[in-house]
Amino acid sequence: MAAAPFKQYRSPESSQEVVELLTRYGEAAVLLAGGTFLHGLAARGLMSKMEALISLQKAGLDYVKPQGGSLTIGAMATFRELLDASPVKGRPELGAIADALEYPPPQILNAATVGGSTASAYPLFDLPVALIALGGAVVAQGPGGRREIKLEQFFLDYFRHALGKGEFLAEVIVPKLPDRSASAFLKLETNANDLALLNVGVRVTIDEEGLCRGAVVAFGGGIGGVPVRAATCETYLEGSRLSAKLLDESAQAVTHDVHPISDHRASARYRATAAKVLARRALIRALARLGLEFG
Amino acid sequence: MKQVINLELNGERYEVAVAPHATLLEVMRRELGLVGAKKGCDTGGCGCCTVLVDDRAVYSCMTYAMTLEGKKITTIEGLARDGKLDPLQQAFIEAGAVQCGYCTCGMIMAAKAFLLNSRSPTEAQIRQAIAGNLCRCTGYRKIVEAIGLAAR
Amino acid sequence: MSELSVVGQRVRSPDAYDKVTGGKGFPVNVRLPGMLHGKLLRSPYAHARIVRIDTAKAEKLPGVKAVLTPSAVPQIKYHSVFFAPNLDPGMVRDMLILSDTVRFAGEPVAAVAATELEIAEEALELIDVEYDVLPAVFDPGEAMRPGAPQIWEHAPNNVAVNLSFGFGDVEQGFKQADYVFENTYQTQRVHTCYMEPRVCVVDSDRQGDLTVWSSTQHIFGLQEKLAFALGLPISKVRVVKPRYIGGGFGGKLDLGYIEPVCALLSLKSGRPVRIEQTRYEDFITTARHPVKVQLRTGVKKDGTFTARYAKSILETGAHATHGAVVLPVHGLMGFLLTYRCPDVKWEGCAVYTNNMIGGGFRGYGGPQGAFAVESQIDEICEELKLDPIAFRLKNAHREADPHPFNPNFTLSTYRLDECLKRGAQEFEWSKRQSAGSGSGTKKRGIGFACQPLWVSGCVGFPGIYEHSGAIVKLNVDGTADLSIATVDMGCGQNAVLSQIVAEELGVSADAVRIAYADTQTVPFDAPTHASRVTYSAGNAVKVAAGSARKRLLEVASQLFGASPDDLEVVNGRVRLKGSRAKEIPIAEVVELAGAPALTLGLEGNQRTPIADKGTILGTSSLAPASNPSPATAEFVEVEVDTETGEVRPLRALFAHDIGRVISPLGAEGQVEGGFQQGMGFALMENLVFDSETGSCLAGDFLNYKIPTAIEMPGEIKSLFIESNEPSGPFGAKALAEPCLIVPAPAIANAIYNAIGVRVRELPITPEKILAALGKL
Ligand SMILES: Cc1cc2nc3c(=O)[nH]c(=O)nc-3n(C[C@H](O)[C@H](O)[C@H](O)COP(=O)(O)OP(=O)(O)OC[C@H]3O[C@@H](n4cnc5c(N)ncnc54)[C@H](O)[C@@H]3O)c2cc1C
Ligand code: FES
Ligand code: FES
Repeated sequence: MAAAPFKQYRSPESSQEVVELLTRYGEAAVLLAGGTFLHGLAARGLMSKMEALISLQKAGLDYVKPQGGSLTIGAMATFRELLDASPVKGRPELGAIADALEYPPPQILNAATVGGSTASAYPLFDLPVALIALGGAVVAQGPGGRREIKLEQFFLDYFRHALGKGEFLAEVIVPKLPDRSASAFLKLETNANDLALLNVGVRVTIDEEGLCRGAVVAFGGGIGGVPVRAATCETYLEGSRLSAKLLDESAQAVTHDVHPISDHRASARYRATAAKVLARRALIRALARLGLEFG
Repeated sequence: MKQVINLELNGERYEVAVAPHATLLEVMRRELGLVGAKKGCDTGGCGCCTVLVDDRAVYSCMTYAMTLEGKKITTIEGLARDGKLDPLQQAFIEAGAVQCGYCTCGMIMAAKAFLLNSRSPTEAQIRQAIAGNLCRCTGYRKIVEAIGLAAR
Repeated sequence: MSELSVVGQRVRSPDAYDKVTGGKGFPVNVRLPGMLHGKLLRSPYAHARIVRIDTAKAEKLPGVKAVLTPSAVPQIKYHSVFFAPNLDPGMVRDMLILSDTVRFAGEPVAAVAATELEIAEEALELIDVEYDVLPAVFDPGEAMRPGAPQIWEHAPNNVAVNLSFGFGDVEQGFKQADYVFENTYQTQRVHTCYMEPRVCVVDSDRQGDLTVWSSTQHIFGLQEKLAFALGLPISKVRVVKPRYIGGGFGGKLDLGYIEPVCALLSLKSGRPVRIEQTRYEDFITTARHPVKVQLRTGVKKDGTFTARYAKSILETGAHATHGAVVLPVHGLMGFLLTYRCPDVKWEGCAVYTNNMIGGGFRGYGGPQGAFAVESQIDEICEELKLDPIAFRLKNAHREADPHPFNPNFTLSTYRLDECLKRGAQEFEWSKRQSAGSGSGTKKRGIGFACQPLWVSGCVGFPGIYEHSGAIVKLNVDGTADLSIATVDMGCGQNAVLSQIVAEELGVSADAVRIAYADTQTVPFDAPTHASRVTYSAGNAVKVAAGSARKRLLEVASQLFGASPDDLEVVNGRVRLKGSRAKEIPIAEVVELAGAPALTLGLEGNQRTPIADKGTILGTSSLAPASNPSPATAEFVEVEVDTETGEVRPLRALFAHDIGRVISPLGAEGQVEGGFQQGMGFALMENLVFDSETGSCLAGDFLNYKIPTAIEMPGEIKSLFIESNEPSGPFGAKALAEPCLIVPAPAIANAIYNAIGVRVRELPITPEKILAALGKL
């Protein structure tokens, strides 16, 4: 079925123009990135009528560039562009990004954007969880200028994010990670064309002695309205000497912080059990990127 | 409000009036009489509507036509040249990869995009390349075989 | 077996070229000048009475040309199933085109036709419906309890159909058993997932004659059911045969809401009207019936059955339709007749609920039966330490036994034993380890299951159309046109039927063309369903081609000055048997037969040498002669992740006795596709509904999961154990269904072998595996 009718199509050619249009139309406009989520909503009859569809296509936001040790990703960079970008390839600390982008089918890789996937604020998506593991933030641009929002503060609830009136997501920033950091991402799905039953993004940093000097373990999928961090698990890891046993114990701890939901795809109990397995496996996968074998 | 845009499909220019929300799939099927791309779901995932935009596979059911000005669109209708089938089309016939055929055009286009960048693919890579395309008739085996054949 | 030149060859599908270049022949592509677009307004409630419908605003919307409400449509109760006659007493007539009581969420209450789809959609929003919401029930067990909401007056306790079959005395049989096993198995609701949506275009003329294009498995069934529902004589409805359709698998085997609605909208507006269902609408249109099967089985120590009892509760949803037939097919073919046993009894009922209507699906009651029967046999073998293959062989029917369903026939070809033995050998069954013995977190297991008996010709089921007919016409260029009502839904029907014609005529397969057909121009044919086309339609086609050939030889005999009996056709040429001295191309014979008696040439009038003029053709219309059964065994290896519960099938092997294989390429495709559907049924597919509102939670491919190329095993082998079925065309039997019936129990048995736990409820999700392992 056709999408909800918009009266106008606008294709602003700069970020400033995007803000102007957003300010002008207010609630009556919708942003268009890759369209893969938007059209899905419209085709299911979940969108009300709107004045304008504002495409970000020509706003010059389709870049992936290194800045110092950090990575700046334009909102309109597609999954494919991010995956193929040289600053991402083969970097252990960015492994979670590459992992997360292994899951979507080619048609989605080619169309879906980093901005769209994040601004959908849908906890079942993968990339945002990988980005949380990396300490990522978004740059919101609006009438008041630009501001950075940590991803964990960005997501408020299902389909709700922290962008204010007239603001849009201009780019995503992955900060420089300490040396000897690695990350990984894993997802439970039913077939290769699925949204996550559960997913996990992890990042670990170790020191020269092999002690863990920082860990992030973040979950998405059927865990509620926003991705969550497994703080107890992270604390367990930090400062510890890594071993298979430790990884296992820390993974058991995720149940303190992750409280999954039950829905038609799986029960909370199943998700909680699987969360422990995924966490352990993702940690092992990340550490393998640093040449440490625990699996 | 419809707006007139220019689309380049299979090397030909089309001038069409499209609504802001119109998808490429609808424009092709309804306005341009190009019925090779099929609608199997309209919400992404079945892949029957797959076409190439700038040589990359996309779901035309979720690609807004308005975003396509200046892009090169290739559909199944643009594959055969001077009456000669593309090797993929030929291989699909030879390998018996076509049953009901409803998924076929989308499958071939997904495979086309893949083979543009992949010379001697493994079976796993081929399967990954069509992971966004569902087929309910063949069990995929002969499709995978056909793509392998065409790659050679 | 005599030498065959076309049958048995790996020929290309006659439609493949068209399909790889754009597939123009699908009904979804039909568009007519002035065509309107229709949409159905569907109830958000699972059970409600319509108090009032106000369509005034919708009718005023510019572009809206016709609106329908229940009060404006014929209120003739019908059943929608194509292959059963309208008034068949075994069917339940509980369907209305639009009713003022809705019984499932999504049942249509009104319809609109407009110049644009978007206008029709907008018009739906302007229709105001006042519902009196009634209590609903979604679980068949609850529905049968006293005090449950009553869905139909004619069905106390919501039981739509109640049946029982058997022979011998089961109680006596159980007394003779050394062991008695009792288990319950439950299957879920799954969708056929044909890729082309259900779609139709209906046009009407000034006299109210209707022409219908539809993505349907049966043009005559559609004609008959549509005419009945509309209260029209059958001659007022013409259904055009689609060149091919984008899958059906049983899901396009009944009259939908869209065809009668389109017809009425067209009659009202005087314009052609098209309705294409959305994927969501397709999901709530047809599904395999969930069945709960309780088995009680008595065996001797050595594994011989002494008594078998089963009780099946089939959920038919809001209307009985297919449920009334799936139930007995399930009882008979899925349980009662599968193995030899002196004392057997089956009881079953189809229960109404406020869920979507169940429909046809390849296998038609078989998968639900096989999952129970074949799982339980393995359970018995495990318990008694018996070999599962030997167990089945001991209890199976044998070649030359009387046909268990219809003793007028024998199982003249029946090679189940070979399927099991050769399959086991090729799969290296002997290397199977004991259950759950592997180490590590990922464990492998192998399993197998069989479908010992299945119907092909359906001969003998009461109240089911079975006959087929065809016209074969020879053309002056030496080709032949085959006119037949059989719809090719992707199982290679067009290929197989043209091969049979080619073989019979003595021409190459690509010299046979499938002709235009509609319900006016070709003889009746029963639907493309029940694995029947190759056998039943194949026989009809062979007879028609044979009679065209006979006529051809009669005509040619005038050219040879020989008796027709002394002639043969080889490679498109007529000649004296065994002699290459003189060969006349068919084209020449046909041309002479069709030429004017006198032709004006330079040398004056010339008389053609052929005296009796006319088109060379042959026709047929006949019912199948017998009831041969294919036999099927499937072996599968799986890997189970014991931490996440995920199951990955690694390889599969099917061993089939399907008689003579007419089209090997097509047959392999059937098997491989059958495995995909069976594997989905076993592991992931589940059309779930909200247990409170009855609305569909899995109405798209993000929520309804079918295997992609990634989940499918790389290796699916087909082993065809050929037999020469005397009643089949060139020895063929049937194939389409058993290959989807066996995967679920085979996979369940393999999972058991891997991890030593048994899951008796489909789909076997990761969650159920972990629960069975005691890890949740
Ligand atoms: C078949 C299929 C398979 C999929 N598989 C996966 C998978 O494996 N893993 C996964 O993570 N996801 C998957 N997805 C989901 C996919 O990732 C999302 O649909 C996609 O990321 C959305 O991005 P987009 O660019 O298409 O956004 P759009 O659809 O264009 O927009 C999404 C939403 O964000 C808003 N928006 C877009 N850009 C901005 C911006 N810059 N600022 C503010 N608001 C904005 C839009 O208004 C809209 O509400 C799948 C989807 C489909 C259809
Ligand atoms: S129609 Fe586009 S993915 Fe199904
Ligand atoms: S051939 Fe029928 S869906 Fe693929």
